[in-house]
Amino acid sequence: MTKQDPEPDIGSLETEMNRGFLHILALALLEKDMYGYSMVKHIETLGYRVEENTLYPLLRRLEKNGWIASKWDLSEDRPRKFYAVTPEGRALRASLLDIWKIQDRILDKITKENAHVQ
Amino acid sequence: MSNKLEAYLEEISHFLSGRAEREEILSEIRSHILEKAAAEHGGTGDDAVDLAIAAYGPPRRVAERYAEDRPIIAPAYKRYLFRYTTLLFAVHAAMTVFAVIFKKDFVIFPFLYMPRLGPIEAAMYLPMAFLADLGLVAVVLYFVTQSGKDVKLPWPKIGVDLDEVKPPKKAFWGRVGTAVGAVVMLAVTDIALYIFTRYHTIFLYLTHGSNPKPLLTPEAGRYLSLIVIASLAVSTMALLVKLFTRSRWVDIVSNVISLGLIGLILRQPFDNLFAITVPEKLLPVVKANIKVVLLIIALIVTYELVRDIVRVSRSKLARSVAQY
Repeated sequence: MTKQDPEPDIGSLETEMNRGFLHILALALLEKDMYGYSMVKHIETLGYRVEENTLYPLLRRLEKNGWIASKWDLSEDRPRKFYAVTPEGRALRASLLDIWKIQDRILDKITKENAHVQ
Repeated sequence: MSNKLEAYLEEISHFLSGRAEREEILSEIRSHILEKAAAEHGGTGDDAVDLAIAAYGPPRRVAERYAEDRPIIAPAYKRYLFRYTTLLFAVHAAMTVFAVIFKKDFVIFPFLYMPRLGPIEAAMYLPMAFLADLGLVAVVLYFVTQSGKDVKLPWPKIGVDLDEVKPPKKAFWGRVGTAVGAVVMLAVTDIALYIFTRYHTIFLYLTHGSNPKPLLTPEAGRYLSLIVIASLAVSTMALLVKLFTRSRWVDIVSNVISLGLIGLILRQPFDNLFAITVPEKLLPVVKANIKVVLLIIALIVTYELVRDIVRVSRSKLARSVAQY
């Protein structure tokens, strides 16, 4: 990188990368029933952070495609919308995880090759 | 229930308008904010809800996260918006010139009806025609985009792309040219002003061995002189401003003012114009020629105006695509 090169805009690249990751993350988390806020908090305990206003549109898209299902629980003081993965969602999750593993393996190989070159 | 929460949801609802699942979306957000306020800020009072709302984000941004529709015009077709508009407007402008010169209506069924126009109407009509052409092309591209099909739109290949964006001229020589132009225009404007203050007109003719005499009648001479001086001053100002900025808006503003000034001249009936004797037979020809010349100038200014608007729009589009 030369002196003239601008600082890389990691923010927008991270958003791009997160888009796919969040799909897998949500499909993986929803193996057990969870509501939106509990998902946000659980993800935080794993050392990651998802914007609240990003999660709900994502869940809506997943549900629209039949990969998750939802139902309102009105038994508590406050109504909560619980989500759970569907069989179609599980199949999608498996496919996405396969892709992710292949990508991870390729990047790992290249990183090792680069280390060897240096 | 917090009024602030309801007001916040109302704002989101406004930006979500048209979505069938709007109420469901608002219920999800309401549930989340109340949950967060209670868990993290000690209850669902106004202060706690305020904090949860602040963390959730501005209403418009929240609503935009739900947008997953196709773009109005697909990125691949965006450049055709300006390509086709330019072509269509060129046809429109040519038809306008014919309609004015031949004093006839023109119809290209079913696309275009060009009524018989006078020079003033034509000058007023062209900017509107450009907007109509832009709108028509946008509607066509909208339907192409919404069809979801990979439509390959035609565009002539003549060696280079007709709308290829040329690299900007070298800044230094460009500025030297602008500076020289500004000095010349300043001198011309000053000379015109000097002549006007001395003779109350800039339209003079010289006869051998006598003082300059006015070419036009006093009233027409003063009125037209002021318009020409104003036009010169605008051009001079534009050149001076362009020494400090390369913004195309300078040209756009300058050309809009120039079009207005040309319109003012064209409004003149051109009767009782000359202070000198013009043969009766020659008068209609002279008047027609003045109008044609002014119309050609108006067309050139309109062309430059449209070109600059297209370029400004295109550079904005390029920036938005780069950000995307």
